[in-house]
Amino acid sequence: MASLVTSSPRPKPRGAALGPFIPGPFSRALGTRHSQSHRIRISIRLLIPATCRIPILVPLPSRRMASGESSSSHPTEKKEEAAAGGAGFDDLEDPRFQCCVCLELLYKPVVIACGHMSCFWCVHKAMHFARESHCAICRQPYTHFPSICQLLHHLLLKLEPVEYKKREKEVLEQERSVDTFSPQIIEFLNSKNNNGENGKDWDNKFEDSKTGSLGEVSVDDNTINEDSMKIKLDDVSCPICKELLYQPAVLNCGHVYCISCLPSVGDEALKCQVCGGLHPGDFPNVCLDLEHFLEEYFPAEYESRRKKLQLENIQCNPEGSSSSTSCKKGTFVQKTLDLSNVHIGVGCDSCGVYPIRGQRYKCKDCTEAIGFDLCGECYDSTSKLPGRFNQQHTPDHRMELDNTSLFDAFLRFQGIPAEGLQQLVQQMELIGADGMVQIVAAADDEMEDNHEDA
Amino acid sequence: MVDVSRVQKELTECNRDSDISGVSIALHDGGSSITHLTGTIAGPRDSPYEGGTFRIDIRLPGGYPFEPPKMQFITKVWHPNISSQNGAICLDILKDQWSPALTLKTALLSLQALLSAPAPDDPQDAVVAQQYLRDKATFVSTARYWTEAFAKSDSTGMEEKVQKLVEMGFPEDMVRSALKSVNGDENMALEKLCSG
Repeated sequence: MASLVTSSPRPKPRGAALGPFIPGPFSRALGTRHSQSHRIRISIRLLIPATCRIPILVPLPSRRMASGESSSSHPTEKKEEAAAGGAGFDDLEDPRFQCCVCLELLYKPVVIACGHMSCFWCVHKAMHFARESHCAICRQPYTHFPSICQLLHHLLLKLEPVEYKKREKEVLEQERSVDTFSPQIIEFLNSKNNNGENGKDWDNKFEDSKTGSLGEVSVDDNTINEDSMKIKLDDVSCPICKELLYQPAVLNCGHVYCISCLPSVGDEALKCQVCGGLHPGDFPNVCLDLEHFLEEYFPAEYESRRKKLQLENIQCNPEGSSSSTSCKKGTFVQKTLDLSNVHIGVGCDSCGVYPIRGQRYKCKDCTEAIGFDLCGECYDSTSKLPGRFNQQHTPDHRMELDNTSLFDAFLRFQGIPAEGLQQLVQQMELIGADGMVQIVAAADDEMEDNHEDA
Repeated sequence: MVDVSRVQKELTECNRDSDISGVSIALHDGGSSITHLTGTIAGPRDSPYEGGTFRIDIRLPGGYPFEPPKMQFITKVWHPNISSQNGAICLDILKDQWSPALTLKTALLSLQALLSAPAPDDPQDAVVAQQYLRDKATFVSTARYWTEAFAKSDSTGMEEKVQKLVEMGFPEDMVRSALKSVNGDENMALEKLCSG
């Protein structure tokens, strides 16, 4: 089995190998600097689930797992849990707002539907370019790259102003080196003074700034005085009930609601009341990190919210909605098997689906290296959002259908016959849900490296 | 490009409580490359590997932590999921089940767990796995023997050498310091003792 799995199962996320060859925005974001003309060899491997699957006894280092998840009954587990979870990272006062991927303070946090969060770039880099991605902590599958949670962003800016600014500087440096940027978040008041390039973000930010936090209006981060850096109830209130967020859940658009304020699960897609964006995919889970923070920071208010909601006997599931997500998992698997309509490494700049399946529209007028793309649905709904990577896209730009990144086109480009692919796909279907196709595109030297290990 | 600052954080974090966890990581052979490391895990209690110290070669691919680290046992181990020939490891989290939220430390702890809970149905070394399934007693004694022979070689070998040289008539403390200074080479230690 060793030979089957020696190659890395992840894409080369920084695009060293894939970057220059995939004409998609997400991959280009990471690989623009790699212009070396390595010949690319593509090999498709079937990963039969032969790797031994011993249960992972070591808890994933979520620092703070869902309270239910962490209770372990297995005796050997306890020892390791003590060992692994015993020492937190002391660098930060509040390790719960530490990114589990880069182990730094979260910067521009993104919350996935399962309720776990990472930095914008950490989530993006961990996403798979051809199939659905899995949460780094709980492995729940997801298909959409969520927008930055601005409420958390502002919260962190107030909680850890020095550290957060430091992170901002570091990340900006990295972004400059690849010439691709994460969305700029401008303060409500400050944004008036921002000139030129930020102007186009204005409409969007105007909406975003209403994110359940009227308090933002009074916050001006340029004047760091104690009063403005204090977290107020308004900063962390729900846009629907206007009270302190209770069991906060974050939608794909990055807006935060009490889970009880979200309409209960139905066939209809969730729609954000603030920005009007549809929430694709699973019903969001409570973001436990945020919940625990609120519980500690506003103990009295949180308790009174709890009591009030219990009195009202809201029908919402108080444990969060973890149970509601499981039923959908089957559909993910089905989708995974069919790669024929996947635009490899191309994501939608509006809803964030990555990779795009089906129709893909590409902007002809956006000049950014990363490009601007929309999935069929978002194209039809005429999104007015700027790009996910701060592209200066406007509604009057011309869009066109683009198939250059479709899986089979991609293979043809690499000189792999389509029939071979069909066979592989069929074989894959026979193998069933656990099998998956790995596309290993690697520069020559890396391939040799893999062979050594085989 | 490996995320250097993350790896450094991981090393500090891992070595901070290595006494309790039984796993530690150092740069490979005291080198300077942060992408080539050596991990050490203590054999888990109540297993044939108890008392042994196992060294693991760790190489970080360019995409780490978005790609799994490449790990291989340096110390020879008799275990169904570890090759008795080259130390290759069969463990899902080092392959397709890797997650960027895992760290080198959690991966090493998983290896420790793998030592105490072999999965013979999904073997890396078919011979060992067959033995494990058919004749557990022999498996245990072989694994224990390998632990004695390879995972403790530093300490046990040393004691034997000390005894041998002491029997030749040298004082024990001199023998120990001589052996230490020549890195355990018996002949060189003898030479040193004779000349000194």
